[in-house]
Amino acid sequence: MKDSRRVLLKVKDLAQHFGGLKAVDQVDLSIHEGEIVSVIGPNGAGKTTFFNVLTGVYPGTRGEIVFDGRSIRGRAAHEIAALGMSRTFQNIRLFSCMSALENVMVGRHARMRQFLLGPLLRTRAFIEEERDVEARAKELLEFVGLKSLGNELAKNLPYGAQRRLEVARALASEPKLLILDEPTAGMNHVECEGLVALVRRVRQRGVTVLLIEHQMRVVMDVSDRLFVFDYGVKIAEGSPREVVANPRVVEAYLGKEGA
Amino acid sequence: MTGFLRGRTAPWILLATAAAFPFLMQAAGFPYLVRVAGMIGLFMLLGLGLNFTLGYVGLFDLGFVAFYAVGAYATAIALRAQVPAPLAILIAVAVTLAARALLGLTILRLRGDYLAVVTMGFGEIARLTINNLDSWTNGPKGLQLRPWRPLQFLAADPNIQYYLLILAGVALGVASSSRLEDSRVGRAWVAIREDETAARLSGIPVREYKLLAFTLSAAYAGLAGALFALWEQFVTPESFVFWESILVVSIVVLGGMGSIRGVLLGAAILAGLPPLMQATLSPAWINYRYLFFGLILVLVTLFRPQGLLPSARREAELSS
Repeated sequence: MKDSRRVLLKVKDLAQHFGGLKAVDQVDLSIHEGEIVSVIGPNGAGKTTFFNVLTGVYPGTRGEIVFDGRSIRGRAAHEIAALGMSRTFQNIRLFSCMSALENVMVGRHARMRQFLLGPLLRTRAFIEEERDVEARAKELLEFVGLKSLGNELAKNLPYGAQRRLEVARALASEPKLLILDEPTAGMNHVECEGLVALVRRVRQRGVTVLLIEHQMRVVMDVSDRLFVFDYGVKIAEGSPREVVANPRVVEAYLGKEGA
Repeated sequence: MTGFLRGRTAPWILLATAAAFPFLMQAAGFPYLVRVAGMIGLFMLLGLGLNFTLGYVGLFDLGFVAFYAVGAYATAIALRAQVPAPLAILIAVAVTLAARALLGLTILRLRGDYLAVVTMGFGEIARLTINNLDSWTNGPKGLQLRPWRPLQFLAADPNIQYYLLILAGVALGVASSSRLEDSRVGRAWVAIREDETAARLSGIPVREYKLLAFTLSAAYAGLAGALFALWEQFVTPESFVFWESILVVSIVVLGGMGSIRGVLLGAAILAGLPPLMQATLSPAWINYRYLFFGLILVLVTLFRPQGLLPSARREAELSS
């Protein structure tokens, strides 16, 4: 980990409103390079919407997002991906009828240069780029533990392997920030531990990780810091210990009477 | 059989066989089959073109024949302006690409059924425009072209000459399609078909790649139209009716969407059967030939929805 912790992502007064519904409102937060940060909160707290604004799925209504020194709010999703922010999805979204290997190769799209003439004339540059992307994709499949499954169609993979494949695809673009939306959803205890280990190894590659997570054991285990969302607003942040001791957080999860 | 078709030498053997075909048929006394095979080749080109949008990207396009028509009429008009035929072909392809790009820019925001309806409408508008734009197209009376005999040194029969020219076009079409398919561009197209949102968030500019596939598909239609016009030496709006668009869609669906081998087989069957039946069936049965045709389509849809020779990817998707 780096000592001089540069701010990788800075969000200022971010809002996403849908008509009168303030799905995300007045969110301020910073993420430093090399951190593993979790966003937690009750269902409907605006966590996924927040991720969707970050990654350009929604434009955002107000506020600013500075990623790696660039203002990105309202930019096209594919541009944001090319700038080094990639993500996985709450409900797995693989290219189900492509092989696992091809899925990862597609993930590298933004880092590739060859367009029409290269493949049509089969130039040396094209062939080299294809070899390179295939080698990298294989390396990433091995990294997430799917080495032997490269030729399987994505949809034929077991559930846990599909989650891992999404991570490999997202890593293929060599992102600076990897965003994981509920990566352990539907996983059993053993699979969860495997995923936590994977997230740590992703960090070791020099990638900052931001995740939405519901399983408190995973959250407490893996996160350096937490942000807590409720009704679209960030209500707390801090180390896992600080956050669980925070009365506002307890109230959001259990209600006032429970506190 | 599919293993054979995927080998390295197999395409060359197929190509050589196909090149020898018209000479054999002529020697055997079946010159009509050369004409039928030439028409099949034109529909192979059209199918390869539509395979970009309908096959790879999954865009419903029911007005493809409009661009076949643009290619044919552009060739006819250029030729009547004393442009040499090879140059006229290039002009026709360029005009078709431009027309297609322009249409794509305006309609590609639409999806699914809406896109199907609008492209279908455009196909009809194009035909009606050609029918009424007398000063350019001579309306329903059509345009006569001066004869062009490109391969006189190979064969005296113009049908054989055009058959060989079309064969070269199909070979070029197959080579270019398969090379693009196995590249970053082809993978991006299929990714868009599989999950547009995931494709966008993987860094693919979806709108641009849709427009690219939509535009490139017109090169094949433009080339087919140009060769058709030069071969027939005559173009009329009658040749470019809605039925032809449906035929091309059927070719891609029957063969297997996104599968080059499938498109070739689909064209051979769907463009070949009706004229063959017309030539061989007794007069009492001729009127039923489209009934057989429809029956084949229904049976394939029921029992082999992924198409006759699906690509590996498609096969998986539709058998689930």
